[in-house]
Order: sequence, then structure tokens, then C-alpha cells
Amino acid sequence: MRISTIAFANLRRRKGKAFFLVSGIGIGIGTAVALLSLSGSLREEIGSQMDRFGANIVVTPHSDSLALDYGGVSVAGVSFDQHQLSNDDAAGVRRIPYRKRLSVVAPKLLGTVDVDGRRTLVAGVDFASELRLKKWWRLVGRAPESATDVLLGYDVARAVSAIEPFPGTSADADKSSAHHSAAPEEFRITKERVTIGSREHRIAGVIGQTGGPEDRMVFAQLSQVQDLLGRPGQLSVIEVSALCKDCPVEDIVTQIRKELPHANVSAIQQSVRARAEAVDRLSRFSLVVSAVVLAIGALMVFTTMMSAVVERTKEIGVLRAIGFRRTHIIKGLMIEVVIISAAGGIVGWLAGLLASRLALPYFTEAGAQIELRVSLAVLAIAIAMLTGIVSSVYPVIRASRLDPSEAVRYV
Amino acid sequence: MAFVAVENISKTYNDQGSRIGVPVLRDVSAEIGEGEFVCLMGPSGSGKSTLLTILGAMNHPSQGRLVIDGIDVYALSDERRADFRAQYLGFVFQQHHLMPYLNAIENVMLPLATLPLAAIEKRRRALEVLEKVGLAKKWSRMPNQLSGGEQGRLAIARALANEPPLVLADEPTGTLDTKTGDEIMKVLLDLSARGQTIFMVTHNPANAALAHRVLYLRDGELEPTPGVVEARSEYCRSGRG
Repeated sequence: MRISTIAFANLRRRKGKAFFLVSGIGIGIGTAVALLSLSGSLREEIGSQMDRFGANIVVTPHSDSLALDYGGVSVAGVSFDQHQLSNDDAAGVRRIPYRKRLSVVAPKLLGTVDVDGRRTLVAGVDFASELRLKKWWRLVGRAPESATDVLLGYDVARAVSAIEPFPGTSADADKSSAHHSAAPEEFRITKERVTIGSREHRIAGVIGQTGGPEDRMVFAQLSQVQDLLGRPGQLSVIEVSALCKDCPVEDIVTQIRKELPHANVSAIQQSVRARAEAVDRLSRFSLVVSAVVLAIGALMVFTTMMSAVVERTKEIGVLRAIGFRRTHIIKGLMIEVVIISAAGGIVGWLAGLLASRLALPYFTEAGAQIELRVSLAVLAIAIAMLTGIVSSVYPVIRASRLDPSEAVRYV
Repeated sequence: MAFVAVENISKTYNDQGSRIGVPVLRDVSAEIGEGEFVCLMGPSGSGKSTLLTILGAMNHPSQGRLVIDGIDVYALSDERRADFRAQYLGFVFQQHHLMPYLNAIENVMLPLATLPLAAIEKRRRALEVLEKVGLAKKWSRMPNQLSGGEQGRLAIARALANEPPLVLADEPTGTLDTKTGDEIMKVLLDLSARGQTIFMVTHNPANAALAHRVLYLRDGELEPTPGVVEARSEYCRSGRG
């Protein structure tokens, strides 16, 4: 017989009340866990969506010229002291201390060449990196495999008659519209090869209309374009996608600047800030709702414990009369509270995980998942215990201060 | 020197919101020797329960001292007084106040819960006391599985578990029928015969007559009463004791 024996026996005796308390704490913790898990998953998803928007760091050659463009219309400018980027610079980006936080490093060489006799903007790219960076591209055909494979932008493909719309599609009815947006399944590739410069290349695929500059470009292997333009080893731009979950973009930019002092390195702050703001709002919302629900749970524990103390006045009086110290009364009641709170925490964690798994499809795209984090389980149980203990302090101290002579006389 | 010395104890309760105190005990002095069985009688409202709770180290007197085994009880701190109760006192309540969620042996072990004894020793002591009151075979029964008399005996067993020098009983037969009341009295008299000091509050003159000495309380003051009551010897002679 120990004080804990009395606590356990009391819990067994008051199963209904214990169940009620466990449920109350469980609901509070479950709500908090569900919201935190959901916001965590939404954070991951927003992060990955933002990453999918493409590069968030752009490395360009250092130039003293001012950009001469307005509203998307470019006017040729004059450049001074322009330093070219090279393949070594792309390798340099991959050497920075935060290199593990870089998801894609996509070097490019831009130039103009004749494509089937038409002057066209060509981009030499590393297709493996480029296709990871431009996840929104919808390819008809396949990804380039050999060195001579190319991808054509939608407008270029139309210009060189490499595609034709499926009969009866809107694309067929409105071929002349420059702003027409064609879904990839609305056209098919009708040509196998195209001449770029003086060399024949195989058309691996055509990029569905994006409404962006890609529509008017041809994409070929970087080394091929470097040969074609007579600029071996040179690059025009390096696009970098940093893994943006808690990414210190500014630090990455600083490290790249240090590695490539002759280059302009700029972060696309807008997307980073928008993402951070969205995530922060979600987190704040989750925290506030969780705090409110937990406060309600704490209030419930408080009122239940207060009524339990009144209900057990006689019992506490008897225990005090037979020699239990105040601290023994506190210890016995606190053992009950801790057991109930821990059980509430475990139940709440499990219920919260289940609820968030069930609710996740309604909030996110398919593929998002709730992570089974041990830290969240530990946190849930710790907060449940803290809530239970804090809200029971007053009732328990009040119980311990019951005058035993009054308590015994009370009956 | 008396084992228990009640020295000029007065107790005044202050009604809430009123400055005027209500005196319940007035300058009460008494002594109880070791091994004595003393009964306290008196009409309702005479201060019997107050004197019992003061003797039980639970109710601080307004004036006076309580000395048990040479210890000035109310000079101790609240926590030390709790320890004193655990070590020196055994309580038998009018309605037994058994814990309904503990079985018989667990109820008996309750006063031992806070003592630094091994579990096996606590169990041994509890079984020994249950044996004394004739409930050893029913150690695993829950209180509601025992008769009224057995519950009373179990309450006495609990009061004896910590081997207290002084047992305080508050009308232990007050709510029981005559047969069950006699059963409880028999246990108390057996204990008294073995040298246990007992102080019992009762309304029942027949039970009081079985004590070594009766104190009579009226309007908070002790009245002189005959020391030894003949009935006890008669009770013992009749073979009931």
C-alpha cells in the first residue's frame, strides 16, 4: 500500500469521471495536434509549391549596364565590363557550404540561331536540371535523351510546322490567335527533325503553351548550343532553386556572391516572402486555435477537479485524520492528474493524427502526407500534463488545506 | 505523569462575519492514564466532538495545552502534527468511513501508506490486526461485501494498524443495531483488556458503563462523575467481555 495505490484505486473507482477528463484533455490536445499537423503539412506543401515556381536565385554576369525594358518590351542596351559566366561558375555554385540546400542548379547559354531558316532564341540547357526546375512544363513527346535531341516551344513548333492540332479542337478552329492557350493533348507532333544552324536535330518533344518566353524558344543540350554559338564553356545565366523550407536564402545568396564575385546574384524575394507570410499566418492561426481549445480543456479540468475535491472532502478528511500530510494529499491527487493528463495526451495525439489524416485531403493536393513525428507526440503529452497539472494546482492545494476536523465533521 | 493531559483547554468558534465568538469548551482539564478506557458523554452540542478532534490533534484549541506522551501536540507544525497522528493515534469514526474502492486489507493498510515500511511488513501488520478483530479470512472483501458489524470491526482494525498508543472512537456504535453495537464494544473491550488506551465518545450509557471511567461534558465544561462504573465488572463477570 502506497499513496499511488490509493490514486490508482480511485481512478478505477471513478472510471466515468476519469474518462470524462481524459476525453476533455484528449479533445484539446487532439485539436492542437490536428491543427499543427495540418499546418505542418500545408507548410510543406506551400514550400514545395513555391519551390515548383522555379528558381528563387538567379546568377547573371556582372554588368554596368542598366536594363532597358518597360512593360515586357525590351530595348537593346549597352553593356560595359561584362564578365561572362562559365561552366566553372556553375560548379562553383555547387561548392558553397549550403550546397545541400540547393535542389537545382540550372546553367544556361542563350543565343539566337536559325531554326529551319527562322531566327529563333535558343537556350542551351542541362535537361535533367531544367526539367526539374520547370515542373509546370507540359511536354508532348518525351524528354530529350541524346545530345542532338531538342525541345521546341509551342510558337516555334507551330512556326516550323512541327505540330498540328487534333481535328475538331479549338486549336484547329483558331490557329491564328496568338493568345490561344493549347493544352498539350490538343496537338500532335508531325515532324521528327529540325535544322538548327547547320545541324539537324531530333525533336524529342514540344512544350505545351505556357504564355511565357519558352513558347518562342528552342531548348537544346548546353554543349551543343555552346558549339553552335561558338562560345565553348560559356554561360548566360545560372538559375538556382534553393530548398525553401526554412531556407536562409539571403545566406545562400551571400555564399554564392563570395564564390562568384564577378557575378550578379539576386534572390527572388517576392516568392520567398509570400511563402513565409502564408506559412506564418497558418502557424499563428493554428497556435491561437490550439491555445483556445487547450484553455477550454484546462477550464474543464479545473471545474472537474474542484467538484472532485468537494465530493472527496470526507475521504480527504479521513486521510488527514489518520496521519496523511498535506504533501501526501497533494501527491495522491497529482498522481491521478498526471495519469489522466498523460492518457489524455496520448489519446489526443492519436485522435489528432487520425483527424488530420482524414482532413488532409480536403485541404491539400493529393500526395501530401502527415508526418509521424515523435517530437509532436512528446510535445502533446508534455502539454497535456502541463495543462492538467496547472489547472489542478488550485483545487489540489485547496484539498490539502481542508481542515481535517471540519472534513470529518462534514459527514 | 498521565499519558494524556488536557490542560485548561478552551475552544471558541468564530461565526463567519461576526466578531462574537461562540464558546464550545471552557477550561477543560482531564487526564487519561496509559491503558485506560475512558468514555465521554454529554448532550448534543455540549462540545464532545470538539474535544475529540482536539484530542485527535486536528483542531487547534483557543487556549490551553494538550500533552500526549510528553509531547505538546499543538506546539508542533501542521505537518509534524500529521506525523504525530500517524504515529500516536488511531481513529474509529461513527460511520466507519471505510474507503469503498479499497478492499478490507487495503483499508487496514491505509494508515501505513505514508510510513517507510516494506510492503511485506505492511501486509503482515494488516493481517495481524485483521486477525485480532476476526476478519483475517475476509481480507479481500470490499467494504460493501461485509456486514455492518464487520465493517465496524474493519474500522477498528484500521485504527489499530499503525499500533497507536491511543485509540479515539467517535460513537462507534451510534448508528448500529444493538447486536452489532455489542459486537463492536466487545472488540474495544478486548483491546482495553490487552492494555490499549481508548477514549470513546458515546451517547449510550450502557456502553459508557463498560469503560474504566466516564467524563461528562455539559455546556463545554466537565462535570465530576463516578470514576469506575459497576456495569463493567458486571459485563466482564457475565462472560461477554
